Amino acid sequence: MFARGLLFVWIAAWIVLGFAWAPVVPVLGDTTRVLYFHIPAAWVTVVALAWSMIQSVLYLAKRRIEHDDQAAASAELGMLFCIVATISGSLWAKAMWGSYWNWDPRETSIFFLLLIYAAYLALRGAIEGEERRARLSAIYSAAAFVAVPFLMFIVPRIFDSLHPSPILPSREQGSMDPRITMVFLAMLVGFTALFYWLLSLRARFARVERRLLEAVVHG
Amino acid sequence: MERKASSSAAAVWAILRKECRSEWRTRYGLNAALLFAVTSLAAVSFAVGPLGDRTDILSALLWVVLFFAALSSLSHAFVREIEGHTLTLLRLVASPTAIALGKLFFNLIFLVVIEAVTVPLFLLLMGGPPPGWSRFLAMLSLGSVALAASCTLVSAIIAQTRGRGALFAGVSLPLLLPVLAAAVKGTRAQWLGGTVGAEASILLAYALAVFGVSLLLYDHLWED
Repeated sequence: MFARGLLFVWIAAWIVLGFAWAPVVPVLGDTTRVLYFHIPAAWVTVVALAWSMIQSVLYLAKRRIEHDDQAAASAELGMLFCIVATISGSLWAKAMWGSYWNWDPRETSIFFLLLIYAAYLALRGAIEGEERRARLSAIYSAAAFVAVPFLMFIVPRIFDSLHPSPILPSREQGSMDPRITMVFLAMLVGFTALFYWLLSLRARFARVERRLLEAVVHG
Repeated sequence: MERKASSSAAAVWAILRKECRSEWRTRYGLNAALLFAVTSLAAVSFAVGPLGDRTDILSALLWVVLFFAALSSLSHAFVREIEGHTLTLLRLVASPTAIALGKLFFNLIFLVVIEAVTVPLFLLLMGGPPPGWSRFLAMLSLGSVALAASCTLVSAIIAQTRGRGALFAGVSLPLLLPVLAAAVKGTRAQWLGGTVGAEASILLAYALAVFGVSLLLYDHLWED
């Protein structure tokens, strides 16, 4: 309860600080603030996908349904954050590059992640039976795991990117104001914590749901 | 050990022969796929006409036609077993890996037949500079192997879902985007007279990676 309240205050406070306290980067202007939402969301998208795939492989190895709960919950949340990252990035691209979508490598890779999430969740929705759903979607997830590094490797070879190159903005652009970096890092922590909280909530929900179903069936 | 290895190779071979024979008996899978490929090729050709030296568009269209022909038909090998209620019997006589491998080789042959019809027609209808044959065929064959390897695994999963074929294209595509990107780029490079070594090794590595992972995963396909 306390941790949840703290998380809420933390994110809210840093959003306010991002607008009121941190300055804007000259070229980017007001679009600087996209940074505080876009990059943390993209970061959580990648973490959630990796977590979901690791849990899928663990499920195939150990056959404990909790791993499947984690994989499914992580994929659902990852999809949510992926949409946030895609939309915020697309709006920013419109403001800075003049078009919402141009198959920039970063746009391609986030679209690819979106496709994997959508396919994984659509697949889950179409399989009947808990054990079979867990097993088959884990197989799919493990296969997609193979495709991810290939796309990351191939796409930059084919297209030139306009995307700001460093993930962490303070490295190359030494002129970046430390206040911006601070708000950004704080939001990164906040988003990751938010993901962790939602993930545990979702996994707990799945567990309760299963127990309830068992109680109805057996009792 | 020796005997076991040879008997599983024999099982793969038997499955492959069985697939070819039962396909040849009705040919409806093949007919549907060929009709689809030729139809989409005709639609593309009718809509844009001969493209001359626009190799960027040519290579993209070639692979889009091939991909959709594959996505419309490669789930057939597994869906047929489920719909005919023959999978249980098949599982009694062969291991999951042998079944999947047999179907993988069948899918590969299936793709080659589709390409043997579609690709010459494409070159004929769409114009374009003459391809550098060895590089062009290298792209085609490596792309097909990667395509067949991914599609076989996904179709084995998809055959066990509700709605079966309906999801196949959507669920396969994320796994196939790297193949599409590399194959389109390599095909274009050969038309421009460039080298395709990097794309060929990407396709080969991808096919091997998917194939290797598939070998580990096939065992988990059917357990109930």
